[in-house]
Amino acid sequence: MSLHGIIAVFADPEALTEAACTMRARGYRRMDAFSPFSVRGLAEILGMPKSRLPWVVLGGGILGAVLVYALILYSVEIDYPVNVGGRPLHSWPAFAVIAFEAAILGAALAGFVGMLSANRLPRYYHPVFNAGSFSYARGGKFYLFIEAADPKFRKGVTKGQLTRLGAQSVEEVEA
Amino acid sequence: MAEAAARSTAVLRGRHDFPEISGRIGAIVLDGRLPRHFWTAFFFCFLLVLVFLYSITYLISVGVGAYGIDIPVAWGTMISNFVWWIGIGHAGTLISAVLLLLRQPWRASINRFAEAMTLFAVAMAGLFPILHLGRPWFFYWLLPLPNTHMHWPQWRSPLVWDFAAISTYATVSLLFWYMGLLPDLAVLRDRAKSRAGQLFYGILALGWRGSAFHWARYQTVYFLMAALATPLVVSVHSIVALDFTFAITPGYHSTIFPPYFVAGALLSGFAMVLTIAIPLRWAFSVEDLITLKHMDNAGKLMIAAGMIVIYGYASEAFFAWYSGEPYERAMMWQRAFGPYAPLFWVMLACNCGALQLLWFRRVRLNMPLLFAIALVINIGMWLERYIIVVTGPSRDYLPSSWGEQSLTWLDFGILFGSVGTFFALVFLFIRILPAITIFEVEELAEEKAQAT
Repeated sequence: MSLHGIIAVFADPEALTEAACTMRARGYRRMDAFSPFSVRGLAEILGMPKSRLPWVVLGGGILGAVLVYALILYSVEIDYPVNVGGRPLHSWPAFAVIAFEAAILGAALAGFVGMLSANRLPRYYHPVFNAGSFSYARGGKFYLFIEAADPKFRKGVTKGQLTRLGAQSVEEVEA
Repeated sequence: MAEAAARSTAVLRGRHDFPEISGRIGAIVLDGRLPRHFWTAFFFCFLLVLVFLYSITYLISVGVGAYGIDIPVAWGTMISNFVWWIGIGHAGTLISAVLLLLRQPWRASINRFAEAMTLFAVAMAGLFPILHLGRPWFFYWLLPLPNTHMHWPQWRSPLVWDFAAISTYATVSLLFWYMGLLPDLAVLRDRAKSRAGQLFYGILALGWRGSAFHWARYQTVYFLMAALATPLVVSVHSIVALDFTFAITPGYHSTIFPPYFVAGALLSGFAMVLTIAIPLRWAFSVEDLITLKHMDNAGKLMIAAGMIVIYGYASEAFFAWYSGEPYERAMMWQRAFGPYAPLFWVMLACNCGALQLLWFRRVRLNMPLLFAIALVINIGMWLERYIIVVTGPSRDYLPSSWGEQSLTWLDFGILFGSVGTFFALVFLFIRILPAITIFEVEELAEEKAQAT
């Protein structure tokens, strides 16, 4: 059993945000925070780069629309062209409707799958669940986690710093 | 007095700490000790599920002639049920997506069951076009599948657009709903005492642990999904309206249909939200989470959507006259004074008459009355769809080909069967999944605590 890191419990989101800010300023880079709901700005404080997910969603939308439009074009122009009273084979206003639906479908699927894979979910095991003080379900607890792999990590020092930041409890987490 | 009024219309009433919120909402699911009237109501819905299954089996084995449709009115209750159900679904998406984008805090405690309502309503709606087909087992011919007789779907047909729109809508609603559920499933996973519960919720929660990085990506995508769902809703019901308007039948061929159908969808959808929410908040004593403010706002949205629907009725009648088309005029006259006239006037009494009561705040805050109005509007909106579907074909160009259809037991078996199945699904959902969004209510409580 190796040491994975240290987890500190805070009573409210402000205390957690403040602690994350201070620890970041002290040079800690490998941190994570856990909260029962989204705390605004916390991820940026912890050093998360700007998310590329909006581009993934846009890409999914374009891909869906292009694929479906190409399929329709192939079917009406190449595979089974039917000339009805000389009307154009390529009746784009009608085809745009289905392409629009396909764009929405592609974008939504790309967003959902992209969110899960960027978050490395689904995940069967994570060390944070080993911490006795960690309870996602109880709500009302806000956690700051510092990895042992962090270059600034010194077990005793880090623990002391977290306690002085007002943590309710500080606990070592096994991997 | 003013203070009391402010309290009665708050989005969240009283003080709440987080363990209490997640405990109370989680307990509805995990303790499994639901009140007896819950199971009694479920039992009656389940009887209707059996009626539904019997009716569908009868319809498929005997053929579509077994219910009301006849020549010349070959579209009947399957189409009106379809439009009615899909419309009910739209209010759920409006609550969960549009109100999220507009950052309306009052959506937090009702969005979950509104989304579930959307999902089940779309599931019901999706059945009807298939049952309407003469040979339902060939419905997959609407898909562009490679097959031996080299069929492609007719891409220029609104019926194929409809297939694309409904399947997209069902998929996106499911994704949006499941994504909203993820953090709450993790709460249930950690709160579950039984091994089976831990496994069930654990697998569904996908290992969610509330990391700040996860939350940031989650919020980004959740907002984008809401932004995608909003035009989707409008497009879905516009396409449903195009199913009618592409035909040159008098009474179908009208440019007002797409926006008027979307407004009608919202009206009937909000009526269904109230039909579910009023008993739900009473039966589970969550009046402090789903407050009178929610009921009040839903009532206001109903009157807003309803007035657009009334404008649609007026515009339809006016342009039938103003167009100078004898066929359109005859159709409109026959709609109001012909064989289907009683239905038409009942519809007007429900959707235009009863609706006006919602202008009064006292009515919007009176739960039994509001519930009654919601039921009346549900009925009125079903009648509206039925009238649109049948009156056009029954009075088209040649008086020699005029004719009516009448409803048989099978029409009612399938309609009430689908209503029962819908509510049975809602009951199962309340039993198995958290019907109120835990993490958003917690966020609301936190914001409220900061404000005071």
